[in-house]
Amino acid sequence: MKKDWLEPVSNHVKVEVRGKQIETFMNACLEKKLAIWEVRRTSPETVSLCFYTKDLKKISAVLKKTGCKLRFLEKMGWAFWLLRLWRRNGIVLGILAFFVAVVLLSNMVWNINVTGANPKTEYELIKAAKKIGVTKGKFIFLLPNVREIQRRLTNEMDNVTWIGVGLHGTTFTFQVVEKDIPKREKTASPRHLVAKKDAVIHDMFVEKGQPVVSINQYVSKGSLLVSGYIGNEQHAELVPAKGVVMGETWYTSKVSVPLVTHFNTYTGRSSSRHFLNLFGVSIPVWGFSEGDYKHKEESEDETPLKFWKWTMPLSYEKKQYRETDGVKREYTKEEAILAGKKMAYKDVAKRLPPGSKIIDEKILRMTVSNGKVNLSMHYQVIENIASEQPIPIQQGD
Amino acid sequence: MGKWRQQVTKWMVEKLDLPADAMMDLPRITMIGQLHIYIENHRGVISFSNEQLMLRLKTGSLVIKGRDFVIKTILPEEILLEGAIDGVYYETPS
Repeated sequence: MKKDWLEPVSNHVKVEVRGKQIETFMNACLEKKLAIWEVRRTSPETVSLCFYTKDLKKISAVLKKTGCKLRFLEKMGWAFWLLRLWRRNGIVLGILAFFVAVVLLSNMVWNINVTGANPKTEYELIKAAKKIGVTKGKFIFLLPNVREIQRRLTNEMDNVTWIGVGLHGTTFTFQVVEKDIPKREKTASPRHLVAKKDAVIHDMFVEKGQPVVSINQYVSKGSLLVSGYIGNEQHAELVPAKGVVMGETWYTSKVSVPLVTHFNTYTGRSSSRHFLNLFGVSIPVWGFSEGDYKHKEESEDETPLKFWKWTMPLSYEKKQYRETDGVKREYTKEEAILAGKKMAYKDVAKRLPPGSKIIDEKILRMTVSNGKVNLSMHYQVIENIASEQPIPIQQGD
Repeated sequence: MGKWRQQVTKWMVEKLDLPADAMMDLPRITMIGQLHIYIENHRGVISFSNEQLMLRLKTGSLVIKGRDFVIKTILPEEILLEGAIDGVYYETPS
């Protein structure tokens, strides 16, 4: 027997057939292969039955032939359900609009909190954030992710050390650590100048105080360079010593330069795929190519959808594939040494205080092992070695 | 001629073990307790009411008696009847 399992949802009607030759009508339906079911005798002259709406024309022709009349009792099936739903469209639209509104509102930026910043920095930060697009009323899923915002803001603002960006629900919090630029202390208290490190005095210029060392003298760390006591023994006076003592100091720097290096640079070509992630299952929505690149890098960005305060198991996922080209760099030993020297020079220069000068460099040791050139470099540097040391004032002196 | 043929088929059914319903156009009736009756090979409805369903067969007719009859499905050659079935009777023209 054939039974249509889709019968409850397919469009059908329940009708009442009135007439004297109902059996003839039924036989005629059978002949024409029109499906009827749920035939029930309701009174000697009437029968209730169901049939598909698509057969309505053929059935009414049969009815006419057999002299029966039709009265509709019920309409069933998806089309009628939809129709009925549509008649109550107010409620349906209302419910839909409510959910859409809640979803949209829970994915919006409602508040931006800035902590740890003075009003000026806060204003600048808000302005920088606005430039990126982080303002009240923006959709969170349209914004770059938190890490990206943090990176961009930190780049943008130069008077802050660090910005912590957090997203708590619909609130962005910016935690700011401002750069503490120390104010130059007024030289008020008496002090000595002492050596910062072992050095040979190269040059000195003393504004205030009594120099106790001479040029070409070797000093070790902490030894007195310029004394805060001036005058002779009878008329000793305490002054804040001030001056520049240039000393020759030594630095070593170790670098290792691989002879063969692989670089990855972006070529600028990229392709992205968009996914809807439902219960951890990614369903591709847009973009089906992972990029037909020989070398590529993949980055992922996931934004969960929020409903009220709950995170839905639904999230929007974007995968980006960027083409990279693998560049291989090969050095000969001489080139590697040259590059190593440059690296070491930079490394030392970074460690030096401003106003210093590298006067000589020497290779201390050079080895080649495991495809690497290891260099140990020695530098002679002229730098200011003076550092201030306050003189404790003794009570009753 | 028809009589002769009928006799041949009857002989074949008996001697060769062929299914009778297919060979002789007889109704095949399946009943599930009193609840359902399923009839294949009928030739149309003669009358239908709550208490009785009369079906035309190739020869004669089939009467099903009972209560609260509902024709669940009706197709050109098969019919599924639901209700409380009391009896199934053959009426053959003599």
